[in-house]
Amino acid sequence: MISFLAKRLLWFFVTLWVVFTISFFLMRAVPGGPFDSERKLEPEVKQAIERRYRIDKPLWNQYLVHLGMAAGLLSEDGQFRIGFPDLGPSYRIRDYSVNQIIAQGLPVSASLGILALSFGLFVGLLAGVIAALRRQTWVDTGVMLIATAGMAVPNFWLAGVCIILFVFLIPLFPAAGWGNLSNLILPAFCLGAPYAAYIARLTRTGMLEVLHQDYIRTARAKGLRGRQVIIRHALKGSALPVVSFLGPAAAGILTGSLVIEKVFHLSGIGSYFVEAALQRDYQLAMGVVLVYTVVLYTMNVLVDLSYAILDPRIELE
Amino acid sequence: MHPTTRKLYPLLALIALVGATLWATSFGTLPPADFTFNNGTEVKSIDPAQVTGAPEGRMIHAVFEGLYRPDPKTLQPQPGIATTADAADIISNHGKTYTFPLRRGAFWSDGTPVTAEDFRWSWQRLLHPGTGSQYHFVLSAYIVNAEKYHSGTVEIGDRVEVELPDRLRPGQIFPRGTMLYGRLLSIDKPKRPELAGQVTEEEAAAEQAAWKRQWIYYLKIAGKERKFSQSPDAPSDIEKCLSVLLDFDEVGIKAVDPHTLKVELKNPTPYFLYLMQFYVTFPINRSCLEKYGYPEWIRPENLVVNGPFRIKFRRLRDRIRLEKNKQYWNADVVKLETVDALAVESSTTGLNMYLDGDVDWMPSPPGDVIPKLKNREDYHSMSSLSSYFYRINVTRKPLDNPQVRQALSLAIDRERICNFILRAGQQPAYSIVPPGLPGYTSARADSYNVASARKLLAQAGYPGGRGMRTIEILFNTSDGHRKIAEAIQQDWQKLGVDVRLRNLEWQTYLATTRKMEYDVARAGWIGDYPDPNTFLDLFVTGGVQNETGWGNRQFDALILKATEEPDAERRMQILHNAEELLMGELPVVPIYFYMSINLVKPYVKGFYSNSQNLHPLSAIRIDEQAKQIQKSGRNGT
Repeated sequence: MISFLAKRLLWFFVTLWVVFTISFFLMRAVPGGPFDSERKLEPEVKQAIERRYRIDKPLWNQYLVHLGMAAGLLSEDGQFRIGFPDLGPSYRIRDYSVNQIIAQGLPVSASLGILALSFGLFVGLLAGVIAALRRQTWVDTGVMLIATAGMAVPNFWLAGVCIILFVFLIPLFPAAGWGNLSNLILPAFCLGAPYAAYIARLTRTGMLEVLHQDYIRTARAKGLRGRQVIIRHALKGSALPVVSFLGPAAAGILTGSLVIEKVFHLSGIGSYFVEAALQRDYQLAMGVVLVYTVVLYTMNVLVDLSYAILDPRIELE
Repeated sequence: MHPTTRKLYPLLALIALVGATLWATSFGTLPPADFTFNNGTEVKSIDPAQVTGAPEGRMIHAVFEGLYRPDPKTLQPQPGIATTADAADIISNHGKTYTFPLRRGAFWSDGTPVTAEDFRWSWQRLLHPGTGSQYHFVLSAYIVNAEKYHSGTVEIGDRVEVELPDRLRPGQIFPRGTMLYGRLLSIDKPKRPELAGQVTEEEAAAEQAAWKRQWIYYLKIAGKERKFSQSPDAPSDIEKCLSVLLDFDEVGIKAVDPHTLKVELKNPTPYFLYLMQFYVTFPINRSCLEKYGYPEWIRPENLVVNGPFRIKFRRLRDRIRLEKNKQYWNADVVKLETVDALAVESSTTGLNMYLDGDVDWMPSPPGDVIPKLKNREDYHSMSSLSSYFYRINVTRKPLDNPQVRQALSLAIDRERICNFILRAGQQPAYSIVPPGLPGYTSARADSYNVASARKLLAQAGYPGGRGMRTIEILFNTSDGHRKIAEAIQQDWQKLGVDVRLRNLEWQTYLATTRKMEYDVARAGWIGDYPDPNTFLDLFVTGGVQNETGWGNRQFDALILKATEEPDAERRMQILHNAEELLMGELPVVPIYFYMSINLVKPYVKGFYSNSQNLHPLSAIRIDEQAKQIQKSGRNGT
């Protein structure tokens, strides 16, 4: 397992470097710069700003300095140092550095993501198990119908419907904002619902397959009660496809959060993902891309690890 | 793998999940503010020298105070740090000298008094070329020698200031390095390198700046002759410096004594007091900036303010919480204890929050629901000092022909655009200057007339549009702009002119119009001060905001003449003549005048519609009784 983790760690840095390099050059290949605005700048003003943010330097120089800063090896003026990765200043939100912006936004995005994922897991697993146990009854049909619909519905549409229903018609929740738990329920529901639906389907399929296995028959034969068979033996086996889905689900929740954060005015980093790129805030866009890379990579490693632990047939390699 | 690990793992995973969920839901609650409004976006900065937008302006107006502040109803300058707005007490020398008496009871939040030196220093920072302010022209265009200081122009015999490269923080202008003052004897300019082939305007400017950095300046400082260069590679007998600028004492900004600020103008400028209530001219606290450095000085815990509010905290993308500044000289007038400025970007979300009662003031509700909102008692609209227009690239055929441009303008049915697309009471525009400026009558382009448009097009050599190439309308991506472009496309197709639409995302659109790679491009302009000049001087030959390629000597001469004209009435007449010229040649085709639309809860008092959409928070108060009634009777959609 140690060698597996070491290898993954090595690839982690390679992945980050590749993502950094591609994003760096792609962003700068698009026309328009961070300091273009409707009111055109005089050349001397523009140069003063560009000097301050060091974008007057040749591209390769900027690339090396920013790479060094992101790796925690260079300071902003090119001096050697060893420390925390520095993503540089934001061009758009000028009073803060990218590190500070991400430090403020990440907890919000993280709590939204965690809530959405826990909701998805809880509801999905429960619905899947119930549907599998009540196979081919109206319960099964009903759950699977809702699940299919849930997968097909885009989250911004769901958000709109939920706002009309639970904010205006039945005033249960605030329309938007961030501050207490009631602010988070609707967004987490809208973000997690499609995943709950998908997990329900996966669980149901996995459960049905497992229920026909010999070891389940053995468990029943030795006199275990139905509930125990399901929780101690069947659920573990049927959860495997769900575990492998968690990697892509985390990716989906991350990218889905930018819509939900906008609709519910949550101050996470999701909304920066698109806007920073549109505003040519190169540093902030890069910061968000790197954070996403780290989260996705970690989730995938965790999934691989869990898979090997849960299923004795799988070897870590 | 050890079997126990395997057994424990699901349990561990469950604990981790529950733990994470608990963490995710453990956030403290925030008591609501007295007054909450939607500021529209996360502000770029709260530094008056860095910003240009309305959301930033609202924050700066809340925490800083300049010489004047606008009356919430009429926008007339009201005394702020200056004690009087009476022209007779301030203006002398045929309108060219302004002497501002400053308030003695005004203090910064660190307890030090606000003085004339604060203004002088803040304005020096605004004008310094290294600051990179986009709005420096508010001072540099009017004050004696300010432009010279800003552009770094020095002439032989000038008194100059030299900054040595020994700054405490190299990337930051203040605190400055060692300053030397002397007289410029001569400049040794190396041969200017030839530019190879076709270069853009920007490349040429960059090249010139690089060349200027090689100059060697011969100065007389304290009786001794010394040589300086900005180039780090200059020979060792030449001293290195960061900049050689005109001595700031030569600029017409003088702190006569701590409570008297004197400003010398190049020309009588009737709207100068209005510029003095514009947020870029607000002073900032020097010791705060020099102590913490940029951008740390703007952090709520460090920021020293002199306005009606101070920043309690700032949560990025969420809100800025303001609280009343007890040290503000006029604190008695300020009724709100706490204010939340939310950074809600989606106007639909903003509207939801307003309707749900979380927000008390919502500017610019989404356009497509305005017809439904229009009849509500909390709907406030007023024509604002801003125009929506199309730029025409006159360097491209056949648009170089004024008759073609006139035909295109005549064929646009502006009434239809206003009544069926915009539907919020916008007025069709036949002039570039919006109505409502006192003393000014706009020059009008001709109204909608397809028959005469056809005739003009035929005269220009394109009868029925024959021989005319496809015209492209460029706009930045937005549904609203698309609908208008489509309407105009239909109008022009009636003339037989083929029109193609092209939308670009904002930043690319700006770069494209700047490089003049368009035929017709959508544009908008918000007046910076209530005077026709703010719209007209955009179009002087080679002006930075012109971007149409159009130039007319007579027009330039009129604009210049207007700046020098001391008589207000005659000046307006000259500006009118200039606009007449512009509307005859039509390098820009006006479409409509914007409206400022606000939704304001009825219990909010002290809020008035005005042409610049300025709503000082210091004037706003809440009628608590009305608020309670409204809350209990919760009016939803």
